[in-house]
Amino acid sequence: MNATTNAGYMAVAIVGLALTTIATRASFFMLPSSVNLPARVERALRYAPACALTAIVVPGVLTRHGSLYISVHNYQMWAVLIAAGVFYRTRNMMVMMAVGMAAFTVLRLYA
Amino acid sequence: MNFAVEIRTKLLAPVDRKGVREGVRTMAPAGIAIAAWGLVTGVAMVKGGLSVTMALIMTVAVFAGSAQLAVLPLLVSGAPLPIVWATALLVNLRFVIFAAAMRGYFVSMPWKQRLLASYFNGDVGFALFVRRFSDDPERGTPFQLGFFYGAAAVNWVSWQVSSIAGILLAGLAPTDWGLELAAVLALVAVLVPMVRRLPAIMGVVVTGVLSVALVHLPLKLGLVISVLAGVTVAVVLEPADGPAVPEADAESMT
Repeated sequence: MNATTNAGYMAVAIVGLALTTIATRASFFMLPSSVNLPARVERALRYAPACALTAIVVPGVLTRHGSLYISVHNYQMWAVLIAAGVFYRTRNMMVMMAVGMAAFTVLRLYA
Repeated sequence: MNFAVEIRTKLLAPVDRKGVREGVRTMAPAGIAIAAWGLVTGVAMVKGGLSVTMALIMTVAVFAGSAQLAVLPLLVSGAPLPIVWATALLVNLRFVIFAAAMRGYFVSMPWKQRLLASYFNGDVGFALFVRRFSDDPERGTPFQLGFFYGAAAVNWVSWQVSSIAGILLAGLAPTDWGLELAAVLALVAVLVPMVRRLPAIMGVVVTGVLSVALVHLPLKLGLVISVLAGVTVAVVLEPADGPAVPEADAESMT
């Protein structure tokens, strides 16, 4: 889709996205002190962001044109796996990005 | 000048300058990583097909890097707006936990000040604040609020300056450098610290497998179903006496 020709769609999308940030960040700052976060709800909330990010990242990396693409030629997959390993060890975002991009470039040019 | 003073006294709580300085100093080292992340997000938005104007509006209005990058592939493919918003909401739900954990420090402020402060309550600032003040007996002191605003200012400026630079410079970067990979890696940097214990690991595995298996479903329904299934599995596996506040991780980004 050419986004510039769909300015209306984008504008409405952005308004909604901004509301999700404001609503979540402001939530318990604005609610009366008597309203608390039940432990059960909090547990579900704690896992939602990780699962949502997974549902975006995993199909993006492991599928191509709507079908599973696990292959030695899926350089993006290898780069993400290497970078995730580096980040797990170092917790350094700059290092993991550099390693991931370098791995991808080397694989793409020489593999 | 009077106008500026009026805005400051209406929108910002009274603060202790020493607190502001300590907040700035504590946040400064993270500022570089935040800037790298902002740059990637700015470039990715324009490379993904957003116009420069829309990308600029988005970075200031939405101000949530993970959510922005997560919905980008959905926006680019013209996904239905409820799916776009639901995805952003899910990624942003961690802010509800942050707000619940932080409200005690802000509860005595007028609502306008509270609303503005909440807008600035991102991941890194939250983590540093909780680490610094969770043992303080008193909550909401001018020193604490100064620390909060100081850290928030560094976060906001590093994010916005780098993100705007990325948006404006995106046209100069060649397309075949795999910059969409940089956007994926930025999300991985947020995801990895969230997945430490068994419930989270199993929830993420279930979500990952289902999201690939259901990728054919129309309207990106596979995304919604796989997230609901993953969260359910994680909650079922969670021991009832888990920690009250999620472990804050200063190294994970916006």
